[in-house]
Amino acid sequence: MRLPVLIFLLLCLTSAHSADPIGSVKTYQPEAVIIHAGQEIEAAVGTPIHTGDQVITHTQGSVGIIFIDGAVLTLGPETRFTIDEFIFNPAEKEVSFIGNIIKGTISFLSGAIGRISPESVKIKTPTATLGLRGTKILVEVK
Amino acid sequence: MTHMKFLGTILSACFLAACSSTKVVLVRDANGTVGQVSVTTSSGQQLLNQAGESTKVTYAQKTPTTPVVLNKAQIDARFSALLANEPKPPIRYILYFKFDSVTLQPRSAKRLSSILKNIAARQSCDISIIGHANRSGDGNYNEQLSLRRATNIKAKLVRSGIKAACMDIAYYGENDPQIATPDGQIEPKNRRVEVQIR
Repeated sequence: MRLPVLIFLLLCLTSAHSADPIGSVKTYQPEAVIIHAGQEIEAAVGTPIHTGDQVITHTQGSVGIIFIDGAVLTLGPETRFTIDEFIFNPAEKEVSFIGNIIKGTISFLSGAIGRISPESVKIKTPTATLGLRGTKILVEVK
Repeated sequence: MTHMKFLGTILSACFLAACSSTKVVLVRDANGTVGQVSVTTSSGQQLLNQAGESTKVTYAQKTPTTPVVLNKAQIDARFSALLANEPKPPIRYILYFKFDSVTLQPRSAKRLSSILKNIAARQSCDISIIGHANRSGDGNYNEQLSLRRATNIKAKLVRSGIKAACMDIAYYGENDPQIATPDGQIEPKNRRVEVQIR
């Protein structure tokens, strides 16, 4: 009886942990949406961002996001970007950021993850993999 | 015949990568710092390490092009819509502590009023308090010390009227030193809490 309860509590803990936001929307120009757990959410200033979310901007749209490690991601118009992995557990030196730009334009300024472990910040595009060692890049995918 | 083969390669590459091309530009951050970015495909890699340097990948099987430096007009032509909408980068404060203590150094204690002013100016409800310790002493002890330092700063800000729900705490122990030192070394600059206002 006690073991299943323990497992249940552990599962609750883990799922609550993975549901913690990893950042939030700071600037927004319509129209843009966030696909979170299969649901489409209209973006707005303050909208939380989670691991696995896809951010989509339309013709005039733009979204600026700041992550909990201080990294800053901005999407220009007609852009699709997915946050594939975001691990931020600096006390255990477990950190990783993997983003994926499918199309459009982004700027990305790395934060504490890049400072603690420069090899751990990666952005994938349909044709290449970018490895960031600190600071800021612009990317265009056509 | 070679023509056909070439066309075939292009077509299959387009099919695989949905006929996509990637352009990467390395730029200065708000502090003027320039880092590095590697651009890798299945057949090669380019490393960008100068401000404005750019490379292009036309399809996944091709080596990225030799880097060229773009000027501001060339960068704006592609990225102006994006650059006009960038969030203000987070404001960072570094507060220093006495040895093996959660008590602030007097000069750092004086900066709390400036922190409160900037939280109000941004109307921020998105603040991180990040504790650090130097490498003198046991690693596990230092992890807890860095947490206690962060908790202490959060408590001070709560007493000054900042909502606890607007702040999150992180602690790095010895893992993110401001100044790299050998283990066991006392380094006042690493005994710190970073307050990040977003």
